[in-house]
Amino acid sequence: MTTQEITPTDDFGIAEASRTNLWKDAFARLAANKLAVIGIIPIVLLFFIAIFGPYLTPYDFLAQDFTARLAAPSSEHWLGTDELGRDVFSRILYGARTAVAVGLVSTAISLIVGLIMGSLAGYLGGRVDMLVVWLTDMTRSMPALLLAIVINLTLKVPLEAWMEQMYLATKNGFFRQTMWVDLVLVFGALALIQWPGYARLIRGQILSIRSRNYVLAARALGMPTGRILTRYVIPNAMGPLIVAVSAGLGGAMVLESAFSFLGVGVQLPIPSWGKMISDGLRMWQTHPYLLAGPAVMMAIITVSFAWLGDGLNDALNPRQWGG
Amino acid sequence: MSVLLDVQDLQTRFQVRKGFVYAVNGVSFQLDQGDTLAVVGESGCGKSVTMLSLVRLLPPAASIESGQVLLRGEDLLQLNLRQLRDVRGGEIGMIFQDPMTSLNPFINIGTQMAEPLIYHRGMSKSEALARSAELLEMVGIPDGEARLREYPHQFSGGMRQRVMIAMSMSCEPAVLIADEPTTALDVTIQAQIVELVKELRDRSGVAVIWITHDLSVVAGIADRVIVMYAGYIVEEAPVDALFEDPRHPYTVGLMGALPSLAGETGTRLTTIGGSPPDLVDLPDFCPFHPRCPYAIDRCRKENPMLEPVIDASDGGHRAACWVDIREVELEAGAAAGSV
Ligand SMILES: Nc1ncnc2c1ncn2[C@@H]1O[C@H](COP(=O)(O)OP(=O)(O)OP(=O)(O)O)[C@@H](O)[C@H]1O
Ligand code: SF4
Ligand SMILES: [Mg+2]
Repeated sequence: MTTQEITPTDDFGIAEASRTNLWKDAFARLAANKLAVIGIIPIVLLFFIAIFGPYLTPYDFLAQDFTARLAAPSSEHWLGTDELGRDVFSRILYGARTAVAVGLVSTAISLIVGLIMGSLAGYLGGRVDMLVVWLTDMTRSMPALLLAIVINLTLKVPLEAWMEQMYLATKNGFFRQTMWVDLVLVFGALALIQWPGYARLIRGQILSIRSRNYVLAARALGMPTGRILTRYVIPNAMGPLIVAVSAGLGGAMVLESAFSFLGVGVQLPIPSWGKMISDGLRMWQTHPYLLAGPAVMMAIITVSFAWLGDGLNDALNPRQWGG
Repeated sequence: MSVLLDVQDLQTRFQVRKGFVYAVNGVSFQLDQGDTLAVVGESGCGKSVTMLSLVRLLPPAASIESGQVLLRGEDLLQLNLRQLRDVRGGEIGMIFQDPMTSLNPFINIGTQMAEPLIYHRGMSKSEALARSAELLEMVGIPDGEARLREYPHQFSGGMRQRVMIAMSMSCEPAVLIADEPTTALDVTIQAQIVELVKELRDRSGVAVIWITHDLSVVAGIADRVIVMYAGYIVEEAPVDALFEDPRHPYTVGLMGALPSLAGETGTRLTTIGGSPPDLVDLPDFCPFHPRCPYAIDRCRKENPMLEPVIDASDGGHRAACWVDIREVELEAGAAAGSV
């Protein structure tokens, strides 16, 4: 938490401080927030690993070494090997890709859906608004994991059958990779769970900003609606949205790992931290490092996103600019 | 003086869950070129809704049911949205109650001030910025050019209201509507803002509509006064006539000198007891009667029209009341002892 500074004013109330740009200002506040800065480091690292992971890994994530199954951490295998003799460290690095992909894609989908639904609700009001609110309430009242299981049970088989048909029709190898079904299901389930949050946030933002005095003042000056939207409504809605997205990215990664327990996750062979955790859990008493590696990574990333989200919240909170 | 703005029988109501809220009920008034009209009344009596109706800046639930708003003879209620936008800011400027939230926190003062100039006056960005700097100095903000680059949070409330005034006056409107522009400010700043508007008015010849519930401001700034209650104009008069010879019990009450007919001792009240009605029905009685010490039977059965008062010192003095309170006041004094 940053303490809010009170700017000294002269007779005319001219603030002494010569801060000139709100975004710079917010950035300075963010940079001053130690936890947020600490949180940024693992997040940057995560993205770096996600992009360059395959070039950094000492072993291929699929390479099985039957002579070294379930090996303890050593100089050769820093974090040991799993049941099939695959290097855990390499798999963790590769898993970053899954985590980032899941986080980014599911957040992007739910954000787009949320933006559309939320704006429609906020702008059109009336029946549309009631419908959107009802839909979000319905979705949010269902337990996330239950929803994921239901999606998995009802959609996985037909989707796979459809893929197989497509393969038979086209002979395109793409349709033989069940990985895509997994990914579609994971992204779909995550997006379904997350869109109502974004929709409600955007709806609320639009409703509240629309009734702000500066929008009324801009309309009273004859500004066109499009101008008011782009210059007044959207920028003022950005802060809370950025904060929500930051938290949402971390949340999506955690949810993905929860899904893995339920078999709704990304299935092998793509390494996913969630899947590694759920696999590792079976043997955690004898081989704790199988669980420890991905679990610690997951914890660090979650905490980092939470800290960054907090920092962004403090830095971008418009209430602090008002006065 | 020629009539600049002629409002006829304006009615605005809000659709609410259980029906309607009748916020403005047949309001008519005129504003002469260069004149200042004060609009007074308690909270919720329809002052803001009336003024927002003039340029159709109402919330979605509101609808204008009837009336004409003639600006130099042209009915603003018939304009399409594009034409209306040219009027907003171009012909009719507005400033609002809360300067702290009237500026967009994301855009610097210069860009915000330049936009209406670019939009209404077709200026280039640099011309508009140069003009904005001049305008800032004109409203008493020194070093205007440097301050253009600053953001609203770097300005105090009084300064922001100065900026709002500069913006609303930037395109040289014919009418400036000021909706309680000083209510949210310190007393000393209030006086400064009032002085500023007077000065700008005298220099530019803009006609001003000044909404307030502070009668003390009215005396210093207005030529004419409208008193509103429950969405009706209940009294209208030149400012001197209103203060010297108020004819509506509500006006008398606002001035803090309403005799208590119901009270045993006949002490003077400084406030009017009770509160304004809900406006959920159009009344077929005088909407002020539950609070009115002068009320007679007729007040409960018929709603008085706004009509010229008897023995007016000025032809433009109108009131909506069944009773000639000058006569009753005498009787009240006599009656006080016997109650
Ligand atoms: N959005 C709305 N929905 C329903 N009723 C409304 C709405 N806005 C205003 N009203 C009603 O319209 C009436 C007039 O309101 P208005 O804002 O014009 O009062 P006012 O005289 O400006 O008061 P104040 O001095 O508090 O500004 C009020 O009784 C209010 O209840
Ligand atoms: S009409 Fe009757 S109730 Fe209404 S203000 Fe006059 S005296 Fe009072
Ligand atoms: Mg008002």
